[in-house]
Amino acid sequence: MLEISKLTKSYGHQFALKDVSFSLVEGEIFGLLGPNGAGKSTLIRIVNQIIEQNSGWIKYNNDLFRREHLRNIGYLPEERGLYRGMTVEEHGIFLGRLRGMSVKESKEALRYWLERFEIEEWSKKRIEELSKGMAQKIQFIFTVLHQPKLIILDEPFSGFDPLNVELIKKEIQSLKAQGRTILLSTHNMNSVEEICDRAVLLHHGKILLEGRVSDLRDEYKTGQYTVRFEGNMIGFVNALWSGFQIVETREFGNNRFEADLALVGDSSIDTLMSVLIGHVKVEAIYEKLPGMQEVFIQAIESAQKEVTDEK
Amino acid sequence: MRNSWIIAMREWRERIGSRTFVLFSILGPLTVLTILYMLFAYGGKTATKWNVLITDPSGIMADKIASRTDSNIRYSFADNYIEIEEFANGKRYQQYDAMVEINEKVLSNKIGFVFYRQIPSKNLEKKVQYQVERRLEEVLVKRFTELSLTDFKKIKQPLNLSFRNVYDPHDFSQDKRAWVGLFLGLVIFVFIALFAMGLMRSISREKSNRIVEVLLGSVRPVQLMFGKILGIGMAAIFQFSIWFVTIAIGLTLMRNTLFPDYISANLENGVQVTEEVQNSRNFEKQFEGFEYNEFVDLVFERVQFGPMITAFVFCLIGGYLFYSSLFAAVGASVGSESDGQQFVIPLVLLLCLGVYAGYYAMINPQGPLTSWFYYLPFTSPAVVLVKLAQGFNPGEAYSLILVGFILLISSIVMLWISGRIYKNGILQFGHRLKLRHFFKWTKQV
Repeated sequence: MLEISKLTKSYGHQFALKDVSFSLVEGEIFGLLGPNGAGKSTLIRIVNQIIEQNSGWIKYNNDLFRREHLRNIGYLPEERGLYRGMTVEEHGIFLGRLRGMSVKESKEALRYWLERFEIEEWSKKRIEELSKGMAQKIQFIFTVLHQPKLIILDEPFSGFDPLNVELIKKEIQSLKAQGRTILLSTHNMNSVEEICDRAVLLHHGKILLEGRVSDLRDEYKTGQYTVRFEGNMIGFVNALWSGFQIVETREFGNNRFEADLALVGDSSIDTLMSVLIGHVKVEAIYEKLPGMQEVFIQAIESAQKEVTDEK
Repeated sequence: MRNSWIIAMREWRERIGSRTFVLFSILGPLTVLTILYMLFAYGGKTATKWNVLITDPSGIMADKIASRTDSNIRYSFADNYIEIEEFANGKRYQQYDAMVEINEKVLSNKIGFVFYRQIPSKNLEKKVQYQVERRLEEVLVKRFTELSLTDFKKIKQPLNLSFRNVYDPHDFSQDKRAWVGLFLGLVIFVFIALFAMGLMRSISREKSNRIVEVLLGSVRPVQLMFGKILGIGMAAIFQFSIWFVTIAIGLTLMRNTLFPDYISANLENGVQVTEEVQNSRNFEKQFEGFEYNEFVDLVFERVQFGPMITAFVFCLIGGYLFYSSLFAAVGASVGSESDGQQFVIPLVLLLCLGVYAGYYAMINPQGPLTSWFYYLPFTSPAVVLVKLAQGFNPGEAYSLILVGFILLISSIVMLWISGRIYKNGILQFGHRLKLRHFFKWTKQV
C-alpha cells in the first residue's frame, strides 16, 4: 500500500534519514520504533508532505505519492493541539472539511464516533473545557473522522490512563479489522508486541531491524526456557543435572516458583521434563522470548557498540 | 484555494465572535463620532461665556450692540465712567469679566480699551472687536453720511484676492484636506498594526500549542498562512466597514439634524436669491469668518469621499498584505511564544515610519523624501492618501497607478518570501530566533 524507498533527509550536514526503505501492506499494523531523535517524526512528516525529502520516493498504491493522496491518510502527530475556543463539533467539521468532507458528512461521522466512545454529550463542549485525556480521545476521533485508508499514529497512547490505552488499542485493532492500514510510532513496547504485525527499528536515521514482530523476537531469543512449578526449590535444583543452568528464579509464595534455565550441551526440553517429573509439580514450560523492549534495547546497544568498536 | 478559504473562514469566525472585536466595532466608530461632534460643536467656538460691561458715558452706542445675538457674550451698559481700580475691586463689578471703555474721542481717534480679568481667547477678542466695531460703524454712518447701512457695507467690503493653483482653479487641494488623507493613512496603519500583530500572535500560538502539525497534515504551509492572512484581513475589512457605515450614518444624521445651518449656503446653489441678500451674506461671511466651523466644512463640503475611500480600501488591502506577510514570517519563525520580540520592534518602527511619511508628505508636498515615501511600499499607503487629498496635477495620475502596482507586486513578493520562511520555520521549535534564520529559511526549498 505504502512503499518508502531510499528516503534521505538531512538538515545541513546532519542526516535525519539515510536510505530508509520499507513497505506497508494493506490491512496491517506496522510499528515504527526507535529512540528519540532516530528520525521517526521526520519520516512521518515526509509521508504527510509537511517536509520534503532530499532524495528517495514514496509510492501509494503503486502511484508516486501526491498531495491528493493525503485525503486517504489520517495523521495524529505526537505534538498535537486543538483550537481551544472551538466546540468539539465545530472543530470536527473544520478538520473534516479540510480533508474533503462536506459539513453534513463531517457531522455524521463525528456523531458516529462520539456515540461509539459514548461521549455524545461532549459535542457542544469547548475544547478548553475538556481534560487532557478527553482531548486526546477527541484528537483520535478527528484523525479517523474521514475514514482514511492509512492511519499514521505518532505516540497515540501518550496522555492516556491504562483504561483508555486499552480502549484505543481496541479501536486500532478494530480499524485493522475493517481493512485499514496503521503506521504506529510509539515507545510503548507492550502495545507493539500486542497489536503490531510488523515493525521497523530506526536508529540515527537508518533502519536497524525490520520484520514481523514475532520474527524479531525470535531473532533475539537466547535459547532459555522458563519453568513454572509448585514444590520445593531445593528439590527442583537437585533434580536438574549438569545439562541445565539456572539463570534466574522467582518465588510467588505457597511453594510456587518460576525459573529461567539455559540448556547446556545435548540437553533438550524432553530431557528437562523427564528429570523434573516426580520432584516438583510442573505447571508450565515455555521457551523464553524477549519482549520488544529487550529487542529494542539489545539492537540499539549492539549498534552503539559497533560504532564504538569502529572508532 | 479551498483549504485556504476554510482556514480563512475559521479565522474570520473566531475574530468576529470575539468580545474585543465586537467592543472595538461599537466603541471605535462611536469614539470617532464623539470626537467629530466635539470638533463640529466646539471646534470653531469658544466654550467660555463672557460677561462684558460697556462704559459709555457719552451715550454713543445708545445701549445697543450688533444685532446678532451671541450665546457666549452678554453685554451690559453703564452710562457713567468707571475707574479701573473700582472695576477691578468693586463688589458690584465682580460679575463682569471685562470692561469696554467707550468715550467721546473714540469716533475720532478710534481707540478703545478692554480691561479683562482673565486673558480672553483670540476668538473672544475678535468677537468683541467685531461686535463693538459694527455698532460704532452704524453710529458713524448715521452721524457723518447720507448713505444707507447696506450701501456703506458694500463700499466697505474689502477686495478678496483668492490665490489659487492654476492646475486646481477650484481650490480642491487645501492643506486641511491633506489632514483627512493623513487621518485615513493613520487609520490604515492602526488597522494594520492591530490585525497584523493579531496574526503574528495567532501563528505563534498555533505553533506553540502544536495544532499546526495537525493542520499541516491536510493543508500546505503556504495555504495555511494565506488562509490566516485572508481570514484576519477579511475581519479587518469587515470591522472597517462597520466603522465606515456607522460613521457615515452618524455624519449624515449630524448634518441633517445638529448642524444643518452650516450647509445652508451650499443648499442655496441654483436657487435665485436677490443680489442684496447675496451681497449681505457675502459680507456677513467675510466678517464672521471666525464663526464659520472649518471642521464641518472640511468633512461635509471639501473631502471627495468617493476616490478617497476607493484609495483607502486599496491601500488598506495592499498595506495589510505587505505588512501581515512580514508579521506572519516572524510569528512562524519564533522558537517559543515569548521569542521574537526583538523582530517586532523594527516592524512597529516601520509602521511608525509609514505614519511619519504621511505627515512629511503633507507638510512637504514637494519635499526631497516625499517621492521616495510615495513609491516605497512600507510608506506608500499613508502617502498616497495624503497626496490624493492634496490633489494631483494633470499628467501625474499615472504615478498613482505605478504606486499601486509597486505595492501590489511588493505584497506578492513578500507573501512568497514569507511563505518560504513560514514553511521552513513553522515546525522548528526551541531555538532562539536570529536574523540568519530568516535568510536560511528563505533559501531553503
